[in-house]
Amino acid sequence: MAKHALSFTVNDEAVEVLVQPWDTLLDALRERLGLTGPKEGCGTGDCGGCTVHLDGKPVASCLMLAVQARGRAVRTIEGLGRPGALHPLQEAFVRHGVPQCGFCIPGVLMSAAALLAENPRPTDEEIRYGIAGNLCRCTGYTTMISAISEAAAAAAR
Amino acid sequence: MKRFEVIQAGSVEDCLRALAAHGPEAKLLAGGTDLLPQLKNGVLAPRYVVDVSRVGRLRSVDLDGDRGLRVGAAVTAREIEQHTGLRARFAALAESGGLIGSVQVRNLATVGGNLCNAAPSADMAPPLLALEAEAVIAGPRGERRVPLSAFFTDVRRTVLAPDELLLELVMPAPGPRSGGHYLRHTPRRELDIAVVGVASQLTLSNGVCARARIALAAVAPIPLRATAAERALEGQPVTPELVERAAGLAAEAARPISDQRGSAEYRRHLVRVLTRRTLTTALARARS
Amino acid sequence: MTMKTTRDVRGVGLAIPRPDGPEKVTGRVQYVADLQPRGLLHAKLLRSPHAHARIVRIDTSRARAMPGVRAVLTAADIPELKRKAPTRSHAVLAIDRVVFVGQPVAAVAADELAIAEEAVDLITVEYQVLPASVDPLQAMQVGAPPVADAGTEADTSEAMAHGAVAVARADAPPPKAVNVSQQSRLHRGDVAKGFAESDLVLEKTYRVPMVHQGYLEPHAVLAEWDRTGFLTLWASTQGSFNTRSEVADVLGISENQIRVIPMECGGGFGGKIRALCEPITALLARATGRPVRYVMTRREELEAGNPAPQVIIRLKTGVKRDGTLVALEAETVLEAGAFSGAVLAVSAVFLASLYKWPAFEVRGAEVLTHKPSIAAYRAPVAPQTIFAIDSHMEQLARALKLDPVEFRRRHLIVEGDPMANGQPWQSNGGREVLDRIAEHPFWKSRAEWKASSGNGRGLRGTGLALGGWLGGLQPTSATVRLNPDGTLSVLTGQVDIAGTNIALAQIAASAYGVDIEKVRITTGDTDTAPVTGLSAGSKTVYTVGTAVLQAAEDARRQTLEIAASELEAAIHDLELADGRVTVRGMPDRGITLAQIGKKGNLYMSKVPPVLGVSRPAFSQQAPGFAAQLARIEVDPDTGEVTVHEFVVVQDVGKAINPLGVEGQMQGGAVQSLGMALTEALMYDGSGRLMNPSLLDYRKLTAADLPDIETIIVEKPSPSGPFGARGVGEPPIVPAPAAIANAVEDATGVRITTAPLTPERIALALLGGQPARTA
Repeated sequence: MAKHALSFTVNDEAVEVLVQPWDTLLDALRERLGLTGPKEGCGTGDCGGCTVHLDGKPVASCLMLAVQARGRAVRTIEGLGRPGALHPLQEAFVRHGVPQCGFCIPGVLMSAAALLAENPRPTDEEIRYGIAGNLCRCTGYTTMISAISEAAAAAAR
Repeated sequence: MKRFEVIQAGSVEDCLRALAAHGPEAKLLAGGTDLLPQLKNGVLAPRYVVDVSRVGRLRSVDLDGDRGLRVGAAVTAREIEQHTGLRARFAALAESGGLIGSVQVRNLATVGGNLCNAAPSADMAPPLLALEAEAVIAGPRGERRVPLSAFFTDVRRTVLAPDELLLELVMPAPGPRSGGHYLRHTPRRELDIAVVGVASQLTLSNGVCARARIALAAVAPIPLRATAAERALEGQPVTPELVERAAGLAAEAARPISDQRGSAEYRRHLVRVLTRRTLTTALARARS
Repeated sequence: MTMKTTRDVRGVGLAIPRPDGPEKVTGRVQYVADLQPRGLLHAKLLRSPHAHARIVRIDTSRARAMPGVRAVLTAADIPELKRKAPTRSHAVLAIDRVVFVGQPVAAVAADELAIAEEAVDLITVEYQVLPASVDPLQAMQVGAPPVADAGTEADTSEAMAHGAVAVARADAPPPKAVNVSQQSRLHRGDVAKGFAESDLVLEKTYRVPMVHQGYLEPHAVLAEWDRTGFLTLWASTQGSFNTRSEVADVLGISENQIRVIPMECGGGFGGKIRALCEPITALLARATGRPVRYVMTRREELEAGNPAPQVIIRLKTGVKRDGTLVALEAETVLEAGAFSGAVLAVSAVFLASLYKWPAFEVRGAEVLTHKPSIAAYRAPVAPQTIFAIDSHMEQLARALKLDPVEFRRRHLIVEGDPMANGQPWQSNGGREVLDRIAEHPFWKSRAEWKASSGNGRGLRGTGLALGGWLGGLQPTSATVRLNPDGTLSVLTGQVDIAGTNIALAQIAASAYGVDIEKVRITTGDTDTAPVTGLSAGSKTVYTVGTAVLQAAEDARRQTLEIAASELEAAIHDLELADGRVTVRGMPDRGITLAQIGKKGNLYMSKVPPVLGVSRPAFSQQAPGFAAQLARIEVDPDTGEVTVHEFVVVQDVGKAINPLGVEGQMQGGAVQSLGMALTEALMYDGSGRLMNPSLLDYRKLTAADLPDIETIIVEKPSPSGPFGARGVGEPPIVPAPAAIANAVEDATGVRITTAPLTPERIALALLGGQPARTA
């Protein structure tokens, strides 16, 4: 079983990497490319920790084989913003004191960013459904909703 | 996950070739949302995984006002959910697409995968059954069409042979004064799986129900039609009392089991509740 | 020693975000699974498919022969293993008997995880399946299949870890039945006479199933030995010193041969206190001479983690018609799974002495079953106990037509009242949080809310419950150092999960007298940090905060001493403000903190460095109370509950950092709601988990919840730093009772088994009970 050469775009950069046929996209990002921001909380698409954007849409990267990403554009939390140049959503999460243990946060932010790209002024209800695929055990979600809502409002101004 | 080889099919022919060579040792991969969990927990351990997610014919939706709807097997649940053309006349299908898993799952999960995985709880099965969809299947001897009502054979079993591939679903356009609705019960609002799902599709004519189709999920080894309830409605003016009677007949048609997601007693009760609710909404939609 | 006033600096009381926020929101913080050292091997365990079986034979030859496999271990390869494992941690690999589904039997380390998984499949184990004890009540019966090896001691270290030992001394007869591993009995007065004199006797049995702590990051550890036989563990733990001790004990090596480096911990909630996969990973690393990483799958977490116990409480009370409490009798059964480790005392104290029962008898039993052994889960056994006693109080109030808040308030203990074990209740804010519920608009308008039921809407109701936590204790230590730039460095070994480090830094700032921006706090590992307790039991701010406060005061004293000497002034004439020590009334005569710091770090200087140290131990707990208020709507057909509003009122003593406090209150409330509404580990009759995925083990999503309203009450604790109490546990306690109370208000149906699933409610409504709308 030979490794496959996978060419795709990751966080706006063209990347070529050898992957195993059974590597998930999440495995490839984390283990082969060192992008450990996306997390594996369940491996079965039931927690949202591994959420990344595939051609702009949020997907559970634990449910995709890496080879299925050939030629496509992937964005991970590392490509959303970085310390010193945070994405407005990230800024709002910090300001609202959202992260506790922090494990779910990369996935939640990618879901939130995808939601705002599709629906720039969501209602609180739409935000709740927009991040419903992301389980969080620490925060109770309340601060997340406020932070996302505030970031959306700020972007609209 | 254990090791396997991947074959990425670029066309239907590619896929059929791979299946001809490895059929019994191969599993088809589209969205992966059902397959990958089964590969990970060891339920399945194929030597080959054939990726059909990029096959063009499987990826398109064709909506023709008169001839009806064609949905490629690798169209995602999210695409169904967001397809504006489906919302009016294929409302039940669009609704089912919006209920599966979560956004990040719906962007992967496909119509074909939902049907071929053949879970009794498959959300897209009841609307497609109620819309009288046919499955178009490709195999070494060409294409064949199977009514969806004959597609499922048992829990996780379909009529597909190891060398066959589900290409698409085709269904007629519901006539004027038609309405449909899909509801399911889950303990959570998202990220859940149907305890019971019910799709209803009604067509009215001259004040009476000309055609009724009711399909149930998660109450039998396969998704099934509640035909006695359908017959009770057809030819009659649809009154709340008749809806209640049909709901009762649908509950009688259910053959639920008790498992971690619900008891047989609760499931049968839910069939009655959800049939009543979907019929009521379908009726309102048919009248509007 | 407690400082009751804050100095005039930016410190205690500020709502400021944690400094590692930017690292967390960019995915740059590192958890164990993110570490990829050179030469890394991946571990996988073969786990028992049976709840109870004898291991006849294990054949690992095919797995060992597989290319890419670097080690295969069974119990036979580990001479250190004790035949009678005293704790779950010691049961590294099963020796000759498996006692729960998912118990590790063999372990593999391989170049790739896929290879390790295949190798595990190549290990063949011949089992002789034995009858299993799956139901705790049946397991207590004579003749039930025994779980423990004869002669195994009860494990009370969990109680110790939670500082609950102060209430753990119960008048306990020796265990009798085969699977009863601990028993307790507390009593006062004449219960039989009390029931005879009561106007109303109510008896119900309440059940809460096993639930999982639900942390998003599964258990994970990376182990590596160096050539001198020194072990380093990169761990996801709630307490690195505890992990070090447990691993040392299991492996039979000295603690000084182990360094535990606590990585970012992706949630613990009590589930990451005990060593679970650390010992086997260390053994694989030793066998291979390579770094080995083990990350549990979610399925393994659910099947073979260490969940919270099932709790079954039979509760009988007698009261007078006017609401006078007369007598209480209760029996608590805690299902501990395959190894002892439950805390009995919490249940006894809350059942018998949250409200003032003149006569009571409360018995408790820990029962072993063939299921994964249990551990702490945020306020262990308190939510389950409050589910019983608060549900009961609500029913009494309703039966007697008394105001539910007033009824609780009337009978609630106050400071000085005796607990069930005779010790006095400490100062607490139980009454104050009930007061805030009583004046809340959702409570005051509960009749209007209920009246708005029907007409296309469901059945509406309001419910409240009161619960709390006695407060954990553990010795700990901290240092505070003055740097040459005039800033402070605080060092502890505290694993910061929820954002406690910023609160500790705020305490240091206020105690020393500098702004928070001048304080840097570090969590050290077991080689570098002073000994620090667990991040558990709502005691980080209460105990570690005290250590930091005292260390900061020590550092301040040293600073002033140096300044006095340098300025040739008396200490009591000095002032410390704006980073400078001056002589009172002579602002020009001063020395900056930076100058003092520099002098302590100069070649040939005669000024000693400033290093504040504190190493307190504790004996006085600070109970924390929370009340919750739920405004709900029930779909009478499907049984679905919609939580429209949810309010948490909590006495935190002093909110050191209100942002962090509110985060605890909201997160705890939602865990509590999960226990109330959806969460349960469901086992079949053979002891197999039926819902081993996050699809079927239903933690609540954002779509299931309203915003959680928080109301902070500050009734200072006489012993906590700046009056602070523990904050973490209380908010997880009340919701199961609050929701059950609201459901009864809405539907007239009383549910006594959690979770209150739609099915449970719908079937109860179908069962001929009152109140249906179309």
